[in-house]
Amino acid sequence: MLLDTHASEIETILGRYASRRSAVLPLLYLAQDTYGHLNDAAIREVAAILDLPATDVFEVVGFYTLFYNRPVGTWVLQVCDDVPCCYLGAEELVAALKQSLGIQEEQTTPDGMFTLQRVKCLAACDRAPVLQANLDYVYDVTAERVEALLTHLRERAAEARKRGVSGRFAEDYAFGADGRPLRLEREAPYTPRVFTPVPPPPEPAPMAPPEAGTEAESGERRVSPL
Amino acid sequence: MGLSEHIVMRELDIPAINDFSVYRQHDGWEAFADALRTKTPADVVNMVKEAGLRGRGGAGFPTGVKWGFLPKGVYPRYLLCNCDESEPGTFNNHQIIDRNPHQLIEGVAISAFAIESHTAFIYMRGEFAAAAITVERAIAQAYQAGFLGKNILGTGYDLDIYVHRGAGAYICGEETALMESLEGKIGQPRLKPPFPAVAGLYGKPTIINNVETLTNVPRILARGVAWYRSHGTEKSPGTKCFSLSGHVNRPGNYEIPFGVPLRELIESPEYGGGMRGGRPVKIIIPGGASAPWLTREHLDLPLDYESVAAAGSMLGSGAVIVLNDTVSAPHLAYKMDEFFKHESCGKCTPCREGTHWLVRVLHRMAEEGHAHPEDIPTLHGIYTQMAGNCFCLLGESAVMPIKSALRLFPQEFEAIVRQSQNGHAGKPRPAAAQHAIPLGLASRR
Repeated sequence: MLLDTHASEIETILGRYASRRSAVLPLLYLAQDTYGHLNDAAIREVAAILDLPATDVFEVVGFYTLFYNRPVGTWVLQVCDDVPCCYLGAEELVAALKQSLGIQEEQTTPDGMFTLQRVKCLAACDRAPVLQANLDYVYDVTAERVEALLTHLRERAAEARKRGVSGRFAEDYAFGADGRPLRLEREAPYTPRVFTPVPPPPEPAPMAPPEAGTEAESGERRVSPL
Repeated sequence: MGLSEHIVMRELDIPAINDFSVYRQHDGWEAFADALRTKTPADVVNMVKEAGLRGRGGAGFPTGVKWGFLPKGVYPRYLLCNCDESEPGTFNNHQIIDRNPHQLIEGVAISAFAIESHTAFIYMRGEFAAAAITVERAIAQAYQAGFLGKNILGTGYDLDIYVHRGAGAYICGEETALMESLEGKIGQPRLKPPFPAVAGLYGKPTIINNVETLTNVPRILARGVAWYRSHGTEKSPGTKCFSLSGHVNRPGNYEIPFGVPLRELIESPEYGGGMRGGRPVKIIIPGGASAPWLTREHLDLPLDYESVAAAGSMLGSGAVIVLNDTVSAPHLAYKMDEFFKHESCGKCTPCREGTHWLVRVLHRMAEEGHAHPEDIPTLHGIYTQMAGNCFCLLGESAVMPIKSALRLFPQEFEAIVRQSQNGHAGKPRPAAAQHAIPLGLASRR
């Protein structure tokens, strides 16, 4: 039970608010990371800790997109397909992920490693296309970087299971010069990004979204850690 | 024409300002300490009023005036920092909390002192998970150094600041929905009045300000009103962190004084660096998804609240999305309204049903290439029924993309209808879906 395993953390969370009910979101994150997803028992347990009718907590789980009431993979991949990402390679990224993983959106791979979702704007539009893996940002994920990313995430599977899917220990990633994902040092001094000019496209693509390939140039931008 | 000194994005001038000791070396927390020792809360409110600071979250309302709405003598009061940045194209708060978190926290502290609050929450969208850790660590450092907690610097002032993570809902950026969410409920907006200043979080007087707004406050106190007003325009003093995205060579956040022309933001080698591959500008969305669209004829528009409003749009959150001629207007309207449909909280009918029907028609037109002659009047009809009838601004905002697209590029909608009628339609459709919109209840996807 959460009160046995996370007593001091729960106490700290409750101490912040004038009303116990305010702790619903933080406690649901805690429960989700502890149990993998929010099954009925987990939701009722949070309701009991906060002296709330279970309905109130079920309603919250249903409303917010970052709570999962069914099993998800070790890694939940959430790809932004919103404007402007959708015009900068996000559709190609989703297609490459579906092809490589052999699943559709909202499905989980048979080995339980990856769940794929489309999500709305992730507030990183300057680093499009962008996705989050268990809420770790991965910036500038062009379709051709998908294999390197998936390999990297498989290597970190044990770490992901330990950390949980709710981002309570999140880190951010971009791609290094060797084409592999590179963890961004959050304490590092700010380095302005380096841009290389994009050459004119060979052939105009009159309809949106652009056909695969026309945005390949975007992968040429050199990425420097934040 | 770059800034000689950044007000908000100071990581560009001081590369390691995200480090607490570096922030201290550059007079960090001194404005707060000085306010506690030498100023009254009213002094701080007056300075912010005189500086002309306007809310950067979208509305542009004068911050000091907003603070003045608090009823006298009613306590406790709460300060909420809105960091639920979720609107397509908006990403400057993300950089501020990642790269200059201490200045935001000092801004929260000064503002809390100004409104005589002893508890502040930074409500951060759930996806800002790593940044939440950064901000929490920065808050912990401030506690350790004695700038937060009980009896701060021996002045008798107490203040606690907490980070509260949301869980994936754009609507929680609406101020009353944010308070509902912080109270542990689903994020549906409240009826106003009462306004948050009178009855906000837990029914207590509450002020909500945006991240960028609060990050300005320490510099106003440190450098003074005259210095602050030497940036920007008379009515929009200071700078704005524009989030530039889309088909430009150098997407990113650029802090520039209010009043710089749109063309300079897009084309200057210091900022946007021109259009990718030299393709022409087609559509500019100057203030996030809810701003009416502009076109290339507006390139000389100065970027300040009044000028953009005079051109029929709004500066909003300063999210400038620039798209080239490969983007079709019906498709852009479809993607934007799909965002609003996804984020509609479901509380009021015009927004919940209106966004649903807009997206159904637009998806069929823009994604599948199938259209009927009556689709265009239908689209006009749907947004007309939404406008002015929604409970909060989300539904009103959803009107803007489709209204803009139909006003600026009607020929693109007509072309889809024409091609469809001539049998040149794009993708084949499943038989069951080939008819016009059925009346009455529809089965939701």
